[in-house]
Amino acid sequence: MGPHIVSAFDKELMAIHAKIAEMGGLAEELLSQALEAVEKRDPGLAEQVIQRDKRLDRLEMEVDELTVKVMALRQPMAQDLRFLVAALKISSTLERIGDLAKNIARRGIYLSQARRVNLSASIVRMGQRTLEQLTEVLDAYSSRDTALAVAVWRRDVEIDELYNSLFREVLTYMMEDPRMIGLGSQLLFIAKNLERIGDHTTHIAELVYYVVEGEPLGDDRPKGEPLALDGLTD
Amino acid sequence: MTMLQPDEAETETEAPTAELKMTARDVDVFYGTNHAIKSISVDIPDKTVTAFIGPSGCGKTTFLRCLNRMNDTIRNCRVTGEIRLDGEDIYGRDIDPVQLRARVGMVFQKPNPFPKSIYDNVAYGPRIHGLAGTRAELDEIVERALTRAALWQEVRDRLDAPGTGLSGGQQQRLCIARAIATAPEVLLMDEPCSALDLIATAQIEELIDELRESYSVVIVTHSMQQAARVSQKTAFFHLGVLVEYGETSRMFTNPSDQRTQDYITGRFG
Ligand SMILES: Nc1ncnc2c1ncn2[C@@H]1O[C@H](COP(=O)(O)OP(=O)(O)O)[C@@H](O)[C@H]1O
Ligand SMILES: [Mg+2]
Repeated sequence: MGPHIVSAFDKELMAIHAKIAEMGGLAEELLSQALEAVEKRDPGLAEQVIQRDKRLDRLEMEVDELTVKVMALRQPMAQDLRFLVAALKISSTLERIGDLAKNIARRGIYLSQARRVNLSASIVRMGQRTLEQLTEVLDAYSSRDTALAVAVWRRDVEIDELYNSLFREVLTYMMEDPRMIGLGSQLLFIAKNLERIGDHTTHIAELVYYVVEGEPLGDDRPKGEPLALDGLTD
Repeated sequence: MTMLQPDEAETETEAPTAELKMTARDVDVFYGTNHAIKSISVDIPDKTVTAFIGPSGCGKTTFLRCLNRMNDTIRNCRVTGEIRLDGEDIYGRDIDPVQLRARVGMVFQKPNPFPKSIYDNVAYGPRIHGLAGTRAELDEIVERALTRAALWQEVRDRLDAPGTGLSGGQQQRLCIARAIATAPEVLLMDEPCSALDLIATAQIEELIDELRESYSVVIVTHSMQQAARVSQKTAFFHLGVLVEYGETSRMFTNPSDQRTQDYITGRFG
């Protein structure tokens, strides 16, 4: 694709792209640190995540401002328009991923003070899968790789399945030992946050597809089985 | 502008395919040896605004003028191919170009009212085509055309004032009133807003949207935003060739041809 006749337009688009790249990198780091804080029972690290999330909020506002300005000044069309619309949505999605990572870190602080349970390993495994998905979707975004975006989008079902099995596992523990309820629900909140991050990741995958192809990604994404709670109780 | 969700995309109905008002097939236009239009085929639907866009000199005006045989008046201009209005060949032997231009009206780039009163500007066409039997009928035609052109309220008290004394935007609406006074079926507009300010442009665009209910409108515009705002179909011309034609909404979010893409996003082709 050639450069714009108005070269300032190219500079503005590049600035937005750079900010989104920074947001993506930061969101990845926050998630990875939050998981590490849970795994290593490290409240200091968790505290860092909570602090660093503010930068992500600020970047989102900057992307908003820049994008609105470019839309008003340049009246973008076709792929430029799609890029900018997606920029707004991706930055707000990354901001939410940051919030969820922060939430995981908060739960991590609680867990670091509770007794050690081996369930944390399943959470960390689910967290690693989620992080891989996020990394790959960000790669797909920067390299405009729709095949990779579609692969990420399809693979979200694995996270849904991990979530479902973790849910059953934690529920079983809590039923066996009511003293586990406080701790178990913290674990469930973390798992739910990871599952939501997975959903946000597939949303980014859809946006990558839209930017490049100009049309929405289809509707046949495999989804995890809905949780059946009966059967657990007998 | 939002992204369509997949299920909406499926149920989204394309603008119902309006009846075709005009069809052009393999049209070529030469100015002497200059081959200005190269084998263009395009459909002009009824009750629809069709926009012609493309860089200067790509042949938009030339092609538009084929649609009501305005090119007949240019001495070294030769048109070949077939253009039909309601299925009838407009270059056919038994077609009177003057009658044709009453059915296919035109509004030009620069407002060009005749040096006559506002009333006479609008009454001109109906008079030469004998559309009114009495003065009262003519008055009615003039009022109706000025009302449709969204000008009546502004000029009803000064119909005898010269048309050239109006503001630019009012003059252009007067020209639109003049064009629709002969009850045309198709209205051709060649960059009708290029000499107008923002407000006058917005008024004309509003008017074009209303005219669509009754006419088939074809507008040449150099403003991509204007084409996106007023039209339902867009044709992109490049070097005398019709590169791409389709739904306006798709054309401006996801054009298929690289040349269209480069042009509408303002890139070097
Ligand atoms: N009256 C004319 N005599 C000779 N050549 C003309 C005439 N009008 C237009 N042309 C040529 O035809 C080509 C298309 O012009 P035109 O239809 O005016 O393009 P557009 O409206 O897209 O700017 C250009 O090369 C132009 O120089
Ligand atoms: Mg022209």
